[in-house]
Amino acid sequence: MLVTENLTKLFDGFKALDGVSMKVDANSLTLIAGPNGSGKTTLINTICGFYKADGGHVFLNGEEITNMKPHEIRKRGIARTFQIPHPLKKLTVLENLLVAVAEHPGEKLLRCMRCSSWERAEADAVEKAFELLEFLELDALWDTEAYKLSGGQLKLLEVGRALMSDAKLIIMDEPLTGVNPKLAHCILEKLVELKKRTTFLIVEHRFEIVAAYVDRVFVMVNGRLADEKSEAFREVIRLLCFK
Amino acid sequence: MEHILLTILIWFGLYMIVCLSLNIEYGYAGIPNFGRAFAVLVGAFAVGGVANRVLMFIFGISNGIIEGSASVKSAMNEIMARDPAVAILFLLGTLCIAAILGAVLGAIFILPSARLSEHYLAIALLAISEVSYMVCYYNPDIMGGYYGVSTPDPLLFFQGEQRLLAFSVLTISIAMLLYGIVSKMLNSPFGRLLKAMRENDAVVEACGKDVMLLRVKACAVGSSIAAISGALYVFYTTNVIASSFNRAEWTFYPFLIIILGGLGSTNGVIAASLLFVVARVLLSTYKWELKSALHLPFEAVWLEYIIFGVLMLLVLLFKPEGLLKEKPTMTKPIREMVKRTGKGARKQA
Repeated sequence: MLVTENLTKLFDGFKALDGVSMKVDANSLTLIAGPNGSGKTTLINTICGFYKADGGHVFLNGEEITNMKPHEIRKRGIARTFQIPHPLKKLTVLENLLVAVAEHPGEKLLRCMRCSSWERAEADAVEKAFELLEFLELDALWDTEAYKLSGGQLKLLEVGRALMSDAKLIIMDEPLTGVNPKLAHCILEKLVELKKRTTFLIVEHRFEIVAAYVDRVFVMVNGRLADEKSEAFREVIRLLCFK
Repeated sequence: MEHILLTILIWFGLYMIVCLSLNIEYGYAGIPNFGRAFAVLVGAFAVGGVANRVLMFIFGISNGIIEGSASVKSAMNEIMARDPAVAILFLLGTLCIAAILGAVLGAIFILPSARLSEHYLAIALLAISEVSYMVCYYNPDIMGGYYGVSTPDPLLFFQGEQRLLAFSVLTISIAMLLYGIVSKMLNSPFGRLLKAMRENDAVVEACGKDVMLLRVKACAVGSSIAAISGALYVFYTTNVIASSFNRAEWTFYPFLIIILGGLGSTNGVIAASLLFVVARVLLSTYKWELKSALHLPFEAVWLEYIIFGVLMLLVLLFKPEGLLKEKPTMTKPIREMVKRTGKGARKQA
């Protein structure tokens, strides 16, 4: 599904990513773990086109997507969430989700004037958005501006926006931070359910919650993927309680 | 009194159009277009520069644009006096040229600067507008420079106050038509996307939307509408001189109006346009009386600038959200879903 080959990213000579080669299988839930500053978010930003890679390649289903623009990468099927929530502050919770709809005909300048050309798509999107809001326990806040939400609710909004997209691969950067354990388990169960048609790559520190759901683990240390025999990798596995 | 009322109506229509355009760009898309005057100038150029040249070519007039425009004016006025259909065709044709030219130039001028962040973009657009203004003002070959050019009058059937009345009806009608179009456009997923871009362009990009293209589209639409206002203004005065399109009147005042009305609030913009125009026309009419009544220690001509400058500061300090708050985009499917599921009352987080 997703393959990176020797992916490298430099910041003023500092190697934030140092030859990262990884393979994410289709219809899996893959975890990237590692200490703070190990390059997890940089890896996501580089895969998604927010940072330009200084070396290496990224492939999605065999097609090279290295250094494409973020919107082009999204159109090819990779959606993402942000580690620090990026709400559209003055837009309502519902509007925040609707913006994530891929290829909405009503977003075209000339078609937006002809309601009949986009109302069907809008109705489907609204229905899906309300279902997601209900699932994320945000439905009561559908018409509340996003700046009024709490930290945990903003995280849920990020998750909702990712799930609104019909992406082939959804990359989530610490989606469970600030989310109560019960709802966190529900979200992970939902991801497992959605795995039939979507692949998930998540960065998460709450190992006690994600342990039961992940199919594969990568561990990053100092911008590199840790070897499976390394101490760092074993430590993460121990924390995940894997047998 | 009737004259004042008609002047208010005409300026209300003109400012409403410009402010609707700026509301699309700044209120919705978050593009701080400090070069609004440029698009209005483009509208004026469409009449004074483009239409005049086309007519000079048709009539076989080979003088320069300044002398040629006078000949075009008398020839066209004579034809339009005989045949009202030509007058209507000329009016609509030039408005269309203005809209198309505004859209094309608006898109071209945002292209090199569309990647800039908000403050740099504002400065770049201001610079483009000022340079264009100076080039048009100091170069008589474009549209008469500091001499200006004459333009035919498609409303020459009406004389005196009747012409003012006819022009006010025309301006208000076009403003209302544009209001309907803009409202429909903004209350759609496209309008929602523009607002999303204003809030956080990285999110919009991550959602698969091309932010650069969106900015270009917003500027093209906005500039196109603003250019219509410029063309109408030229028909109001029946001559074009670049100095009429200065940044105070066509950039600063529209910004004041949309901030006063509430960014992103189309109805707020209309209410603020009316308030502003009434205040401005009254100030302009009675400034000498005000000066002597209040014993002002400065010339009365500065009163308007001082009052509106202070008003801008007061609004930004004490009511930054403006008169009417922006409303969420409620498309028909959303309204139907809300009605069906009974999700009516607004709840607090």
